[in-house]
Amino acid sequence: MTDEGSSKLLHDLRSKCASLRSAAELYKDCSPAEKKEMLALMKQAAAGITASLEKLESGA
Amino acid sequence: MEKLNILVLEDDKLAQKIMAAQLTGHKLDMAGDLKSALGYLGRDKYDIGFFDLMLGADDDYSGLKAIKAAAEKGIYAVVVSSSDSEDIIDRAYELGARDFYAKGNEESNIADIIRKFVQNRKLDAGTDVFESAFVTEDPELRAAVTEALRYAPTDLPVMILGPSGTGKTSLARIIHDRSGRPGAFVAINCSAYTEDLLEAELFGYKKGAFTGAGEARRGRLLEAHKGTLFLDEIGTMSPNMQMKLLKAIEEKTFHPLGSERPETSDFRIISATLEDPKDLVARGRMRFDLFQRVQGYTLKLKPLSERAGDLFPLIRHFTRGGRRLSFTAEARAMLEEYKWPGNAREVKKFVDLVCCGPEGRIDGVIAGRHLKPRGFSAAGAPEAPVPAAAPRPAGGENDELYALALRDGLQAALDKLAEEMILRNLAENGGKRTKTLAGLKISTRMLYSVLKKNDDGGDDDR
Repeated sequence: MTDEGSSKLLHDLRSKCASLRSAAELYKDCSPAEKKEMLALMKQAAAGITASLEKLESGA
Repeated sequence: MEKLNILVLEDDKLAQKIMAAQLTGHKLDMAGDLKSALGYLGRDKYDIGFFDLMLGADDDYSGLKAIKAAAEKGIYAVVVSSSDSEDIIDRAYELGARDFYAKGNEESNIADIIRKFVQNRKLDAGTDVFESAFVTEDPELRAAVTEALRYAPTDLPVMILGPSGTGKTSLARIIHDRSGRPGAFVAINCSAYTEDLLEAELFGYKKGAFTGAGEARRGRLLEAHKGTLFLDEIGTMSPNMQMKLLKAIEEKTFHPLGSERPETSDFRIISATLEDPKDLVARGRMRFDLFQRVQGYTLKLKPLSERAGDLFPLIRHFTRGGRRLSFTAEARAMLEEYKWPGNAREVKKFVDLVCCGPEGRIDGVIAGRHLKPRGFSAAGAPEAPVPAAAPRPAGGENDELYALALRDGLQAALDKLAEEMILRNLAENGGKRTKTLAGLKISTRMLYSVLKKNDDGGDDDR
């Protein structure tokens, strides 16, 4: 993986982690419907992080 | 809350949700990609734009293009990105971004950005602050105050330097009013209290904490929660008290006297001093660590003698809504020649005096009558000080005091006379209180009551 490629991947990881942290702070004040939607988005973000890490490990 | 038009460019669904939650109450358009953002920018008018830079895992920071488009339209462009590359940060600012924040702390960052934007827009909208709240036509002072007000909507401490009567308290209040902080403006003149009393005033006390503490009392620190604590004459505080205050500022918690339970207060500090704080530190009268904590943004207010053009605007300001005055050319020349060592506060006293007098048209005789006791002579040189106990001339101020007694009662006139004599004696003694206490044979309580009334009077000192 090029330097630029890993830099972008790290940016993406940082971005998703930051969103998860903010979402966790926001979660307690959400309505039940919003909590459901938020949880789904948080799961997607977590899956995105896993995929990025795998990409980083494989060096692809 | 002012409703703003806001555009957000953000590709990540979760981040979109977070931004939308933080911007509730505003008109919000959400763009998920660059094309959509440029479309919104072409169609609508926005106050603020929040821009992510990397739109997709392999994107080449295309959000930068939206910043350029927004800046060209005069939109306040803010980057919210996970990028920490200095090159990208430089490019964003070069293209017109006004702020750059890291993702992940939206709850406090977005509120700060909105608050700062609204306050700065008010500041840019006009110069009304210099026509009413802080009267000055001096370009240099206007520029300094305008710059200071740009820091109003932040939590940065502000230190205001300048001689007595130049408007330090007024300016501190204006900064608070423009800070967007929901709490109160709480002012305290540190020089008006002994160490023990100051501690009780600042930190409060529990019932029975000391003799005379019949009831518990909240301290000024607690009163300033979510607001501003203005510490006037901070340099007069004892080293012990400075240490306690420093701890309270750093930890935002403190113990009221006699209490085991700590109190928490989120206050912003504005401080003021007549003296050079660096000199106070050098002479060991101010702790260096406290100085570091409270200095933040520092500005110096010039004495009135260095901004002569402000005299008549101040007089007009002090008579607004009341009795209007007119001055003959001779009276104007005398007022302009006088140095006004008490600055705006002294002008206010002068205006109060002449407004109580029988004439609305002020000539040289009337002006001289009020300026002479202040040490003014026709040649502009101060006259030899008149002993405080010297008999007052018949007529003139006596007539005004008599009119005041008839209107508000004899005690009011006597109080005013006592106050004037104390302030005059203090001025003649270069502010040395011990000399005034001995010279006028008055109690400490009486002296401090006059000082408190005059130094801690909020808007009165303009």
